Amino acid sequence: MSPAAAGEGALAPPSIRRRLLLLLSAPLALLLATGVLVDYFSTVPPLHAAYDQVLASSIVAVTAHLNIGADGKVKSELSDQAIAVLRADNQDEIYYLVLDAEGGYVAGDEGLPVAPEGPETLSFAYAEYRNVPVRVASYRLHNASGVVSISVAETTNKRREAVRGMLSYMIASDVGQLLVTLSLIWLGVRAGLRPLLALRDQIVRRSANDLAALDEGRVPVEVRPLTQSLNRLFATVAEAAKAQHRFLADAAHQLRTPLAGLQAQLELLSHELQQHGAADPALRERVDRLHSGMQRLGHTANQLLALARAEPSANPADDFRALDLADLAKDGVAAHFDRALVAQIDLGLEASPARVLGSDWLLRELLANLIDNALAYTPAGGSVTVRCGTISPDAVAMQNHPDCAFLEVEDDGPGIPESERARVFERFYRLPGNTRDGNGLGLAIVEEIAQVHAGTLDIAAGMGGRGARIRLTLAAGE
Amino acid sequence: MRILVIEDDALVADGMVRGLTQSGFAVDRVSSAEMADAAMAREVFDLLLVDLGLPGMDGFEFVRRVRRSGKSLPVLIVTARDGLADRVNALDIGGDDYLVKPFAVPELAARCRALVRRSKAAGNPHVVVGGLRLDLPRREARVDDEPLDLTPREWAVLECLALHVGQVVHKERLQQAVSSWSDDITTNAVEVYVSRLRGKLGDAVAVRTVRGLGYRLDES
Repeated sequence: MSPAAAGEGALAPPSIRRRLLLLLSAPLALLLATGVLVDYFSTVPPLHAAYDQVLASSIVAVTAHLNIGADGKVKSELSDQAIAVLRADNQDEIYYLVLDAEGGYVAGDEGLPVAPEGPETLSFAYAEYRNVPVRVASYRLHNASGVVSISVAETTNKRREAVRGMLSYMIASDVGQLLVTLSLIWLGVRAGLRPLLALRDQIVRRSANDLAALDEGRVPVEVRPLTQSLNRLFATVAEAAKAQHRFLADAAHQLRTPLAGLQAQLELLSHELQQHGAADPALRERVDRLHSGMQRLGHTANQLLALARAEPSANPADDFRALDLADLAKDGVAAHFDRALVAQIDLGLEASPARVLGSDWLLRELLANLIDNALAYTPAGGSVTVRCGTISPDAVAMQNHPDCAFLEVEDDGPGIPESERARVFERFYRLPGNTRDGNGLGLAIVEEIAQVHAGTLDIAAGMGGRGARIRLTLAAGE
Repeated sequence: MRILVIEDDALVADGMVRGLTQSGFAVDRVSSAEMADAAMAREVFDLLLVDLGLPGMDGFEFVRRVRRSGKSLPVLIVTARDGLADRVNALDIGGDDYLVKPFAVPELAARCRALVRRSKAAGNPHVVVGGLRLDLPRREARVDDEPLDLTPREWAVLECLALHVGQVVHKERLQQAVSSWSDDITTNAVEVYVSRLRGKLGDAVAVRTVRGLGYRLDES
């Protein structure tokens, strides 16, 4: 992996979905936390006020049982029964204390703290009594002798329980709301991104050669400028491909016609010189050399044109159709049989049905080049075998591959050294020490056509380690 | 055998005319489809050799018109184009074979000979390949005038090969030709018949094996 690619891997590419979720959920969490606080402050004080009100009414009950003399003497007339009623509470201890104007003890629980005097005659305070926190309500009764204070206190169990209950309810409901909102946002983002994802799928599914315009009917307006630019680009590329097609057709015609004329004339000249026994054998040799040079030129022109035609940009996807490699292999072997016969090479076929989606003439061109190559490098008496078929799914099940179809040509010639295997598909590359006529384009054409078909090529030694086997593997068709 | 060459490039046309003349054909040459029409109205030809890229009416249109007018003479299309569409078209519109420029003159002559032979053989009760002569209606084969003693299945294989002389005949096709006589015949049986045929034919013709594909009958 290149360093750039590694860097990209470490830093995840930006995702609209993640960004939206992040941007929305952080402020949302803050908002909900604020909500909890607001709820707390709006419900807890009234709760305390309500409990305080109950304390105040107890004071009223106690005060009703006080006998305050004209001299200001205070006497408690609380019966035991009244005290029992006052103290009746399941959760909290209730205390009371009555002090006279001088602060002297009159009745109740001695030592109970008194709430400091406030603006009202009734005041409240938190204090501690018998090492337990209590809420004290004190009432100051003004009379002739001074101020009589009546206090009632209760431990804070009820209040604590109530606040805790309320808080946990609030937190639970707010967290619940947060979760529901987050999932709504998640669903919303998903639904919102759907047209965008549909567009992505539409682009991903296209074959690399497909230059048809994208369907803009359901593309959201926000990304329409993007698809419009893409469609303009596709149109430009398609136009360029068409222009290249036209150029190749013209170039083929303009190159081949004079080549055909020259070649025919040289062939005839060479033939005539032989027939009439030209006086100068050197002249004959020169004409023969011209003739073979012309043949090489013709071959190279053909190969260059084939190479240019095999390029993806010159190949609209509509050339692709379902075909059987076995048909191609049969025709390929039949077409090369004469050459094999002359070269005394046993050319054979081992074909099983192998259906693929591909360009008929490109795959024929590929096979022709593979067979040409094998025939060229195999010595007389050798053999060349064309094979095709499908690779059973079991053999590749480990990689979870779909079925594969293959087309291969094997020879028992000198083979291709392992160190050269990667390079032989390069244009104009020729094996070191190769003295044969050739332009080094045959396997480059093979490679180009394999790429157009998203196929893979591999070179191995032939049967028994002899010769070479070049195999094209393609995804199998229906 | 008379050939009409329709080719506008003078150098190519001259090469074709000379090469085919040397191979024993009588050759006329015109440089446009319009001139070819005129020539065909005057003379009868055994074969048309048509270049696709003609000035004026192009080769496609010309061949289509020849076929529409009901003429069945063989047409060899010579083209500098090799795109798929052109190849398919050449045969679809009624060409019998095509040759891509540049070509070798001997190959051109060989294709012309094969086309003429095929067109002459159609409807002809006799097939002659080298020293072999088949009388189709009488199911009789002679090598150098000596009748061969062939079983019906051997005859079926030989007939099928001889009707496609110079072409590879697929093993499956031979199998079908033989099975029409009876029951199931395996491709292995075809091999047996071919090997017996070879023994009986001797050197008169060559029955070549195309490994994995089939057989081809050639003049030896």
